[in-house]
Amino acid sequence: MKRLTLGLIVLLLLAAALSVAAGKVWVPFDAWTADDPRSIIIVELRLPRTVLALLVGSALGLSGAVMQGYLRNPLADPGLFGVSSGAAFGAVIALYFGYAAQMWLLPGFALIGAGVTMTLLALIAGRSGSLILFTLGGMILTSITGSMTSLAISLAPTPFVSSQIVTWLLGALTDRSWDDVLVAAPLIVLGMGVLALTARSLDALTLGETAARSMGVDPARLQRLVIAGVALTVGASVASAGIIGFVGLIVPHLVRPLAGNRPSAILLPSALAGAVLLTFADSLVRLAPTVSELRLGIAMSMLGGPFFLYLLIAMRRRLA
Amino acid sequence: MIRPFALLLAAPLLASAAPRAPRIVSINPCVDAVLARVADPAQIVGISHYSQDVRATSVPLGWAKRFKATSGTAEEVVALRPDIVLAGPHVEPATIAALKRMKIALVQYPVAESVPESMDQVRAIAAATGHAARGEALAARIAAAATPARTRPVAALVWQGNGLVPGSGTLTDDLLKRAGFRNMSAAYGLKQWDVLPLEYLVADPPRVLLSTAPEGVQDDRMTGHPAVRRLAKHITVAPYPTRLMNCGGPTIIAAMARLRQVRAQVTS
Amino acid sequence: MTDLVADTIALTLGGKRVLDDVSFAFRRGRVTALLGPNGAGKSSLLACLAALRRPDTGAARLGGQDVQAIDRRMRARAIGLLPQAADVHWDIDVATLVGLGRFAHRGRWGETQADRDAVAAALAATDMTGLADRGVERLSGGERGRALLARVLAGEPDWLLADEPLASLDPAHQLDVLARLRGVAAGGRGVVLVLHDLHLAARVADDAVLLRGGRVVAAGEADAVLTAPAIAEAYGIDVEIGRTPQGHRYILPVAR
Repeated sequence: MKRLTLGLIVLLLLAAALSVAAGKVWVPFDAWTADDPRSIIIVELRLPRTVLALLVGSALGLSGAVMQGYLRNPLADPGLFGVSSGAAFGAVIALYFGYAAQMWLLPGFALIGAGVTMTLLALIAGRSGSLILFTLGGMILTSITGSMTSLAISLAPTPFVSSQIVTWLLGALTDRSWDDVLVAAPLIVLGMGVLALTARSLDALTLGETAARSMGVDPARLQRLVIAGVALTVGASVASAGIIGFVGLIVPHLVRPLAGNRPSAILLPSALAGAVLLTFADSLVRLAPTVSELRLGIAMSMLGGPFFLYLLIAMRRRLA
Repeated sequence: MIRPFALLLAAPLLASAAPRAPRIVSINPCVDAVLARVADPAQIVGISHYSQDVRATSVPLGWAKRFKATSGTAEEVVALRPDIVLAGPHVEPATIAALKRMKIALVQYPVAESVPESMDQVRAIAAATGHAARGEALAARIAAAATPARTRPVAALVWQGNGLVPGSGTLTDDLLKRAGFRNMSAAYGLKQWDVLPLEYLVADPPRVLLSTAPEGVQDDRMTGHPAVRRLAKHITVAPYPTRLMNCGGPTIIAAMARLRQVRAQVTS
Repeated sequence: MTDLVADTIALTLGGKRVLDDVSFAFRRGRVTALLGPNGAGKSSLLACLAALRRPDTGAARLGGQDVQAIDRRMRARAIGLLPQAADVHWDIDVATLVGLGRFAHRGRWGETQADRDAVAAALAATDMTGLADRGVERLSGGERGRALLARVLAGEPDWLLADEPLASLDPAHQLDVLARLRGVAAGGRGVVLVLHDLHLAARVADDAVLLRGGRVVAAGEADAVLTAPAIAEAYGIDVEIGRTPQGHRYILPVAR
């Protein structure tokens, strides 16, 4: 297990290095010193973008692993809770009313959206801890916030505002700065800490909820930890980067063959692998030979779709 | 006697102290259209990538290809070391914040909603390039092209793909009025930008329908609709390229020419 | 101080009275069978004993204290539950599965020697030591049942509660599990089983609680409880009760 962690850390450093070097503008190494004006690109644009990619990637990877462990379902994705949709709706409101020009308002609204959605989920699912209620509640919230977002797009005062909203929703890390890192980092780190606390309870859940309860798992506390952790990590991720899907879904599957099937064993590797995957993808979208960058959310979907097809085929072979 | 002599001596100093023309990066194709007529080519260090795309450009491609194009991200802009960045109304919040952090001046021009407003923008852009006189000249040509017609206004509607209609308070509305049309969007009760369902159009058609199929496409789904085809037998349906609607500024000259052309076709 | 007692437990679920004034003092070192027809309340009683359900009145008491009031971890160390559902959601290996039974014991800093010893002992007690590295999905039905039993044993509980542990096992495995449960009781723990099959109960039970419609029909030593009249009252059937030459008790349903 330790070898896997080391290997992932090495990959992570490589991905980070690539991300700092990658971009539409080639900045030669001798320009990296403070005298050259192009060093601004490295210090103020590429470095914070890399850090943010690492943070968001690890947040999404970890919350995906926790979600799959909690719901005992390898198809679970952090978006199932409705938090990404709720956070996105918050941001869309900021864009709709034109508040986004102020620095802190867009992430602020997104976080409020995440918080409200998660509170509603906690109220809907209640203390029962029932997974069905939970999942259905998340789907309902996704559906409601999604339709309100579509409403905002259709009611947008000009076609330009609606296209701005749609573009933001597609997810990107373009031109992010240290201010964005300042907002996202504490929330993501805190959220990941909360999620890490669920590790052993997730293991116990392998045997089902009844057995887990008899072993001493507190289902209400576990649910609170999961909701709070996902709200913080995914909320902060959406606030920084828009909606980026598939990371939380794919990464645990990539990691399981190497780390084993135990839920607690895949948490750290999922965080690391998520960081590697997203940072690498973010470098690719800048290096692709298109005039403007491919939207990161789209790139992840294009990766995620075929991967899922492959998973299905492999599963079918196994069941046959 | 002393004063002109002193000025003569000081002339070389004054000349070298005269500010050079500012380096301009534009990330908006409509601003590019203005720059093409008011700025020195040497001072344009970056234009919008849209200006190099035949489907979206508002400048001649030959002119556009001479310059470096960016996709509008702060990273690309910073690398060009501009003195000022000119943009349209909609720039991604992250890019605005990044440029601010790096202390690069950014000026955004909102969508002009009338000819006078567009002329003011032209003057402002020209001033930013340090060539106010050229801006004045261009504004004068725009004013001349947009002189209100003295004919009886004819009911007209501009109808884009998906039924999008520019209404009162848009530049297109102002152009229609000046070319001798009456924008029927108000009669339908539409807002500044709104969608007119086909049914309403057919029930109460304007005398002239200006349909904006995209460049190089004969009919899109709406304009090729059988109901619209039948309408074409009773009213004038004239193509109005979207390219003429994308920008104000110099494009107004071409837009007005086309509108006057259509107006002249209407005899009854 | 770890006696398990049902104290006048009453429970209503979904408007229906599932348990009514049920009392019994379970004894350590013995196997107690909870018996009765469908809907008699056997599983509900077990759930109350395991603190999974809260009785409306009365209580399950461990060492005199209401089980609901005991700290979760302490309770989990004292009472081990083998639920009916044999879910194992992830394909982990047997050693990891059995190790899950140490949940209530594990401190902050990971596995201790005590944990490893308990797991090894549990594997040995269920003859699963050789299969410790095998993935759960590649176990046979019988092996899986034993692995799940080993998980409960690894927690070293004072009381082992099992809900229909023999369901879906073939006769050979049924006898095997019964023997192991007897062994657990012989080792000093208390074993409480919900059983469907009268004749299996007859083989293994030292004590029995016979329920019908949520009320106790008879409770006490198995010989005293498993009589034809009591069974007729609880199940509504006539039975033939006897002993084989080897001394095994048998109960055969004969007529309704």
